Formats: sequence, C-alpha cells, structure tokens
Amino acid sequence: MRSPFAYIPRRGPLQSARPGAAVAYLGALVVVAFLYSSPLVLSAAGIAACLAGWLAGARSAVRAALRMGLGLALLIIVVNALVVHRGETVLARLGTLPILGQVDITLEAIVAGVSIGLRAAVTMVAFGVYSACVDPDRVLRALRPIAARSALTATLVSRLVPVAAADAGRLRDASRLRGPGAAAVGRGALARRLLAGSLDRAVDVAATLELRGYSLGGPRGQRRREPSRYDARFYAVAAVVLAAAVLGKVAGADDFRPYPTIHIGIGPATSAVCAVVLASGLAPWRGAGRRVVRRPTVARAEGLGRV
Amino acid sequence: MSELAIRHGAAPALAVERLSYSYPRAPAPALLDVSLAVAPGEFVLLAGRSASGKSTLLRAACGLVPHFYGGEVDGQVEVAGFDAIAAGPGELAAAVGYVAQDPETQVVSTTVAAEIELPLEMRGDGPGARARAVEEVALALAIPHLLGRAVDTLSGGELQRVALAAALVTRPRLVLLDEPTSQLDPVAGDELVWLLRRLNEEWGVAVVLAEHRLERCLAAADRVVAVEGGRIGFDGAPREFLGWTRETDPTLTTPAARLFSMADVEPLPVGVRDARRTLGEGRAATAVPHPGKGSSGEISPPSRFPTRRRSRNVGALVAAGLWVELDSGAGPRDVLRGVDLTVAPGERVALMGRNGAGKSTFLRTAAGLTDPVSGRVSAERMALLTQNPSDFLVRERVGDELPGDAGLAALRAVGMEHALDADPRDLSGGERQRLALAIALAGRLDGDGVPGLVALDEPTRGMDRGRKDDLMVLVDRLAAQGAAIVIATHDVEFAAEFAARVILLGDGVVIADGPSAEILSGGWYFATEVARVLDVPGVVTPEQGAALLLDQPPDLGRQIWRPRSGGPGGGG
Repeated sequence: MRSPFAYIPRRGPLQSARPGAAVAYLGALVVVAFLYSSPLVLSAAGIAACLAGWLAGARSAVRAALRMGLGLALLIIVVNALVVHRGETVLARLGTLPILGQVDITLEAIVAGVSIGLRAAVTMVAFGVYSACVDPDRVLRALRPIAARSALTATLVSRLVPVAAADAGRLRDASRLRGPGAAAVGRGALARRLLAGSLDRAVDVAATLELRGYSLGGPRGQRRREPSRYDARFYAVAAVVLAAAVLGKVAGADDFRPYPTIHIGIGPATSAVCAVVLASGLAPWRGAGRRVVRRPTVARAEGLGRV
Repeated sequence: MSELAIRHGAAPALAVERLSYSYPRAPAPALLDVSLAVAPGEFVLLAGRSASGKSTLLRAACGLVPHFYGGEVDGQVEVAGFDAIAAGPGELAAAVGYVAQDPETQVVSTTVAAEIELPLEMRGDGPGARARAVEEVALALAIPHLLGRAVDTLSGGELQRVALAAALVTRPRLVLLDEPTSQLDPVAGDELVWLLRRLNEEWGVAVVLAEHRLERCLAAADRVVAVEGGRIGFDGAPREFLGWTRETDPTLTTPAARLFSMADVEPLPVGVRDARRTLGEGRAATAVPHPGKGSSGEISPPSRFPTRRRSRNVGALVAAGLWVELDSGAGPRDVLRGVDLTVAPGERVALMGRNGAGKSTFLRTAAGLTDPVSGRVSAERMALLTQNPSDFLVRERVGDELPGDAGLAALRAVGMEHALDADPRDLSGGERQRLALAIALAGRLDGDGVPGLVALDEPTRGMDRGRKDDLMVLVDRLAAQGAAIVIATHDVEFAAEFAARVILLGDGVVIADGPSAEILSGGWYFATEVARVLDVPGVVTPEQGAALLLDQPPDLGRQIWRPRSGGPGGGG
C-alpha cells in the first residue's frame, strides 16, 4: 500500500508549479505559524494548509498529517498543562507528583499548549502537502546547482520522506505480524527504529545518486527549465502572506496572552491577517482556467518530461 | 589513454593491485592483498560465501569504497584508465555501472522512466538521446510496460530490473553486479544473465557479477574468481573452478557438478548444455555401481520428503475463491483471482511463480495484512516472516523483544534460546532471520511448542548454501513437529530440497499444484538444474540424479531415462 505522503503526479496547479514556487507558498504558511502565537491566526494557517492540500487532491495526505499533527498537539497540550504552573483559572489540583512537584492544571496552560500544538500541526500539514504534491525528482534537479557535491544533502531533502514513508509501511506491517507473545511495539520504539533505518537507507540512496553521476557537473539538461503558468501565482500568494504576516505582527495582530489570564484579541489587524491567510488556502484552486492548447511536438521533445 | 584504446583492450577494464581495505571500526579487514585484472569484454563471475568480501570488492571497483564508506585503504584500483581511489564514484559514473543487492535503495526518482533517464540527464545528454536510450534499454530488459509506473508500486524483481536498466543506460565499459538475480524469478534471472552475455559479446562490456546461485551464470562466464575471507582463493576457468570447489569448498559448487561428482562422472559440467553433451555422448563417463543397489529393476528416485496427501478438510491454511485487488496508483487491479488451496499440518509447500504473480500478496492476505475483495482465507496460528527480517527487530536486547514464557518458547522453537542477552544488531544474518521468526511465532505455539503455519517470503535471498542449509534444518524441525510450512521463493534448488509440494502461481491463479519432484522436473524455467540436465520426470536433486546415473550409466544412451509407466517418482 502506498504511503499517504507519497507524491502522486497530478495536473493541479500546485503539482505543476516549480518546486521553488510550491515551497515558497507552503513555507509562507509555516512562517506564519512560527511568527504568531494567536490561536486564531494559527487556526487560519492550519485551515489554509488543509484547504491547499484538499484542493490539490492530496486529501489522504491532509488526513494523515492532521491525525499526526493533532496527536502531537494533544501531547504538547498535556505536557504543557502538567509542567507549566502559571495561570489563575485552576481546573484541577492533582497534588504533588514525582518530578513534577505540585501540579495544578490551569485553563491558561492548556490554551498556551493549544497554541504551541497548533503551530506543530500546521507545520506537519504543510509538510504533508509538500510531500504529496511536490515532485521529488524536480526537487532533486533544482538542488543540483546548489548542492552538486553533496548527494547526501540532496537525498535527505528530496528522498528522506519517501524513503521514510516506505520504511514506515514495512515496519507497520512487521509490527502487525508480531506474535501475541512478543513485546508490543510502542510508537517510541517504532519511531526510533524508523529514524535510524531511514537515515541508513538515505545514505544508501545517496550512494546510488553518486553512482548515477550526480556530482559530475555536466551541462544542465533542457528538462530543468520547466516553467509553469502557476509559478507566479504561488510566488505572489507567498509574498502577500508574508507581507501581511510581518505587517500584522508590527500592527499588533498577534494579540494573544495566555498568562496570567487568557487574552485573545480580535482586532482589525488580527482579522485582516486571518482573512489573508485563509484566502491563501485557495491558491491551488484550478478553477475553470484558460484553455491552453499544448503542442504535442513540444511534449514529445521533452521526452519524459511532465506538464 | 584514448577512448579507442580502452575500448579495444589496450587497458584493462578493471585492474586491482594489492588492495587491502578495512571498514571503519571493523575488527578485521574486508579485503586483504587482492590483485585482479579484468580485460575489456571479459565476463567474470565472483563466487564466495556470504561476507567473504565480494560486495566490498565491487564497491571498491566503483569508487564507493573508500569514498562513501570511509575506512582504511591500501593498494590501487584502476577502472578504464581512472584511478578509482582518487576519483570516487561520481567521476567513475561514466565508465562504470553498478547494481547493488538491495533494489529499494537503488532508486532515487519517482517514476521508472525518470529513474532510467537520470544518469543521462546528469551527463548532460539531450532529450532526444535520452528518450532513445531509455526506450532501448527498456526493450532490452523487457520493461517498457513499467516506464510510466511509480517506483514505489513495483515488486522487488521489477525494481531490480529498473536498477539494472539505470546502470546500463549509459553503456558503461564495466558493469558490476552484486547478486542481481536474488530477487528475480527463474525466468527473469536466466534472461538477465543472457542479456549480460549479449551486452558483453556485442558491446564489449566487461561484466563482473557476484552471485550465490552459480548454476545460473557459470556457463556464461569466461572466468571465475572465488573470494575467501577477503583474499582471492581461486582465479581461473569455470571448469577448473568446479574442480577447486570439490577439493576446497563444496558449498560453492553447482547442482550439476554435485550430480556428476556423486555419480563419479567426468568432466564436471559448467552448465546444462555441457552436462547433457557429456551424458549424451557417454564421453569419459565412468559409472560406479551404487552400493546396495542392483543394476536392474525400476528406478525410483528417493524422495527426501515423501508426499503425504492429507485430508483436504483439515487445513493449516485454507483459501477458497480468494480474490484480492491492489491499487498501484493506476486504479485497482486483480492480483489474486479465485485462488483455492489447502495446506495440511506438517506439509512443506513452496509457493512459486514469476515476479508479480501474487505470491507475497497471498501470504499477506492469509496473515491479515491485506483484505480480500471476495472469497475467504483462514490460517491456523500463522506466523509470517516478510522479506526484510530486520523490520521485526526494534529493541536492543533479544530478551526485550521476547519477554516471558511465550517469548522463551518461541526462541526455543528456532534454536535461539542461548541468545537472550544478545543485541540483535550483533547477530549474523541467519540468526537475525531466526530471531525475527521467533518474534512472529511468539504466542502462536500450541501446548507442545508447535506453531500452526509458518510462512516465509523469499527467505533465501542473498544466502549462501551454508545459510540455506541452516534454514532447511530449522524448517525441517518445525515441519517434523507438525507445523505447516509455506515458503514463497524463486530459488528452485532450495524448493526442490525443502518442499514436498509446489504451488505455481501465474497472474494471480494457481496454474500448477503437485509434488515438488513432478512440478520442478516438468518445465524449463521452473526446473532444477539437475532436472534440466537429465530431463527425467521426478528427478530434481543431485542425490536423485546420482542414484539414477549410478543405476544406469549414461553411456547407454539417454533414451533409457525416459519415463516408464508414468515416470519414476512421478507421484513424489
């Protein structure tokens, strides 16, 4: 079974765009997530990332990333609630626990955890959409002029996720095949094994890349130049989102303070940033579009190239 | 040195001079004082046991050692005029094609076409030249139908062919292959060897091929180099190599050579044609009467595991009308189509068929990893070991993987109870495989410590004969206790040794199901080397063949081996 994060070629705008444009677009949402703490803006970024993936056809990637991201967010919320003793609205007093000492669960600590968790979830969804929609082959070619002498770097950037996804599938199967008398495989053990194994295999893939002549530095193939009519759209949306995020930050749009009592501001600046970020999620929308007659001879000359 | 001079033999394709190499932190050197020269257009077979240094020698020849693996190196390696130790794999890429053991780590692109095209693009070839080269190499390897597929939807055998295509597409002067047939079915394996021979003869490509299944490629080789403990143990002609194995390391010999040795027939054959010619002409054949056997009477080749046809009502594994669909990205396709079969307790079954025939899917469905779209399959206390045993090992102590009495019982079942405190990473390949099997067995043993069904998917991949023998001992023991054993394998020689019954799958349906001696002697590809030499129904192993030859010397003519009243051992 294919991993939900495996790249599937589609004719959507996000898949057709150059890797740089797609990375700029999805990266802008991640920048927003790291720039802001306001749950409203973070929720807007999360919705935009999900919408982008949904419109790009990467629905299973969005679902899987959401599952993982929300799971991680939940963990962060629990940990934050247990270890942060600030906040005035005490929901529960758990008494004195080993290592943690006196534990009071406060609403403020939970909401602060929600903010951090949302940040992690947005990042994971954006990365999931990137993995499912951006062709690793094109990423590899785009990296060659930058990292021609380091096949390992190129492999880690372009192939680590596919390699890890394939490994995860195999490890998941193996864990299901363990006898009932064998020790259960916890997520931690599986994650450690996956990370170690994927890095090992990425090194092997990098060796193969070297053997294919990655560091030869030969003349650039004509296929490298694959402009898409959507590039400008994604670069523009990324620029607008980043500009709105920076300007909004300066204008006080990140109006969120969890301690000592929760304060979430919904001023015009916050609303504007939310609106811009939310609207950016529509960027991969194909729409009716303008019909473009492609000349078959061009596609033929490109040989095995993509649209 | 000019291109023309290199192509016409003025310089060796590969020259290794007093090469010694140690991997980082390795207790002993992997290669020790190795000297070897391969001429342009030569076909060299690298033989040797597991971990003898074959793979390291190939890695040194393509520049991965020491550039990628680090370690200490001493000596010289020259490839088509390049100093491989100074140049590294990138610069050697134009001259050397390399195919490693694990095909999954040899793909760097998303689609098959992009993968094959990549080396040409890196070299800077234009789109037209790239398209033509990709088309030609795809045709040569019979994979044009795969060009549009995503690489993560391919089977191991298909991936292996794609990796080979990517290595050959630049038409290198030297091709290095590390067990390239280990994941291929017998048909694809034979085709690959003959394709290499063709490239070798027509294009003048030098080939260095490391392989355990020597019977597949010995006849195609000009020369055999045996590596023993990091040193060159033998370097000579294939026939001399067979003589050397008889004296030095019988585990490296071929089934046909074993047959001739046991039947005391000379000269030892390097392939099927050679053996048939020797037997057919009766040349130099000196048959010695088999002790305890008369020269007359019906020939009934001994069956190592007499077939026990059990009641089909009692099955450790029962499949009825089993249909399975898988989606490889281009919509769902039928992988199993109405499979009906039953495996009885204690039965030893080899599941065979071409790459993509549905063997692994059948086992996965029986183990509950894949859901059928119709029909049903039930397996009693089934333990399935997939192709990568390391996937089962996630902890740093054997005892932590298998705690409690159930764990200990499983370790006992595979003979690993002594290794409770060992780190799985320190175990040998064979021990890791047995540990993984124990993990799959834990809690699935009955009160007497016997599992219901043990299924192994391609367990002999990359194994030398010694390790195969160890595996055989293990499955013998489990089967003798009453466990049903089902092994999906491409290794016909292993299947002939271990299985009483062979089920042949083709395109998702059972196309043959019968005693192994019958199935593995009745065809050309899915037949053992001995069966292809003797062409006698029911005779598949060297032991069976030798018994036959000793009873009826070959110089009497081949017609006497024709089946009589259904053929000896026809029913197994």
